[in-house]
Amino acid sequence: MNTVASTTMQIIALCRKEWRVAIDTPLAYVIGIAFFIASGFFFGNTLFLVNEADMRGWFGVLPLVLIFFVPAMSMRLLADEHKSGSFELLATLPVSTLTIVWGKFLALFTQLAALIALTLLYPWTLSGLGSIDMGQIWASYIALLLLAGSYAAVCLYASALSRYEVVSYVFGFILLLALFLLLQVATLFPPVVQTVLLTLSPAAHYQSLLRGVMDTGDVMYLLAMTGAFITLCWFELERRRWN
Amino acid sequence: MIHAEQLNRQFGGQQLNQGYAVRDLSFHVKRGEVMGLLGPNGAGKSTTMKMLTCFLPPSSGTARINGIPLGDPQGVRRTLGYLPENAPSYSDLDVTSHLQFIGRMHGLPRATLNDRIRELASACGLETVLLRRIDELSKGFRQRVGLAASMLHDPECLILDEPITGLDPNQIVEIRHLIRRLGEQKTVLLSSHVLPEVEAVCDRMMILDGGRLQVIGTRDELARQAQGGMVLQLRLRGNVAAFEANLKNTLNDCVFEDVKQHDGEIQLTVRHHDVDAPLAETAFRSAVACDAVLLEMHTEQTSLEDVFHAMTGGAS
Repeated sequence: MNTVASTTMQIIALCRKEWRVAIDTPLAYVIGIAFFIASGFFFGNTLFLVNEADMRGWFGVLPLVLIFFVPAMSMRLLADEHKSGSFELLATLPVSTLTIVWGKFLALFTQLAALIALTLLYPWTLSGLGSIDMGQIWASYIALLLLAGSYAAVCLYASALSRYEVVSYVFGFILLLALFLLLQVATLFPPVVQTVLLTLSPAAHYQSLLRGVMDTGDVMYLLAMTGAFITLCWFELERRRWN
Repeated sequence: MIHAEQLNRQFGGQQLNQGYAVRDLSFHVKRGEVMGLLGPNGAGKSTTMKMLTCFLPPSSGTARINGIPLGDPQGVRRTLGYLPENAPSYSDLDVTSHLQFIGRMHGLPRATLNDRIRELASACGLETVLLRRIDELSKGFRQRVGLAASMLHDPECLILDEPITGLDPNQIVEIRHLIRRLGEQKTVLLSSHVLPEVEAVCDRMMILDGGRLQVIGTRDELARQAQGGMVLQLRLRGNVAAFEANLKNTLNDCVFEDVKQHDGEIQLTVRHHDVDAPLAETAFRSAVACDAVLLEMHTEQTSLEDVFHAMTGGAS
């Protein structure tokens, strides 16, 4: 119990530290503003051009938008620790590597969640313009958070792969893009391969969740992918010590 | 307190076997002792420290810190404070936030933490910069932030990698006092390139070269080992041949060197391979016995620099 409590405290401390850095440095604000311009563009597009008080299109395009933004938010997290040497300081505190990874992940995920929470402004605006199904909106937001979690884990792993932020960004971007494109290229393959590719694609599970049915399989897939990349990130950090 | 046995660390991990960064290193540091770790660049000083702090796993061998084996990294890290080389810290944070973060990771309660930060800020001279961002600070201040961070949880044992690089002479004196004060109750292992500093601060020192321990002991022990025995310098008036015969008679294996005669005075150097031989006493008695007047006599002190050169194969 005592170790659980102290590990939780350490995860919270790590998370607080990352938030502190994010609030004190301009990068987070730049990313936040850019995200609002991009997501606002797609929101306004449906609203004004298609003349529909509907957010399904907006939710549909977000996986692609996030591919650009999540790596930007995560690139520093571990790459910078390795470059500045502070990883040695962190790793010689009485904390396990897995706790470090969870702390970093939680920081990234809560930052993403905060960014996503601010977009609640859009459905609020829509609710004044016409009748919308709030139940479906909430379900879509839950799906979006699950997707964001898996993206965060992928990009955290990418950040562990290099000492350089830019390289980490590119790694994260390529990984996410490759996972996203699985959905697009699946149709080119015979049905058997197609099923496999669609099973592996987080975007496919996300879109299935957007249809309004909370399928346990889709939820589990996104959670499993998050867990898998967190584990990979943990292994990567441990591996560095042995070489 | 620190007990290392047969520590080995291979480059590139165990599989690649590209030679050793540290080879068969065994040593012991007692409680309340300040141990200096010396050696040229690449001698394995930092690697040794990284192994003792459980940052790098040793390829083979073991060590115990305060009785806790390296196999329990969390336990080891709780009992020691570590200042890595170049004192890395979170440069995007201000000094207080950085120290608070380190304290929280050690599980210090809020009230204790704030007290400790205040205490260490005054001990390390950080009061004026507590709210400044670390990347705006000079190297000396950053070094002191790192030092404060390593002592935040009041560890039993401190491992400091180059704690005084980048400090100006005044700061060096302050940090020297701080380390000495710490050394009264705690165990300190520090590495440095600044030999006079090590001499001033450390009770004992060890010299590493090529990953191997060359020598370990107090400053005097090191000096005598580097000289290869006792060295006595004499200036006397009288019959040097009789003196030599008498001395060699009483104390076997004395070697006379550099005998110079000048205005009836004789200058000479006497060596003896045994560091514990009563050379000075015997020389005095021999001089009395052959009625020679002893004008000057002193045992030669080898500087730590000479010891360092001798032990690490550098030019003297």
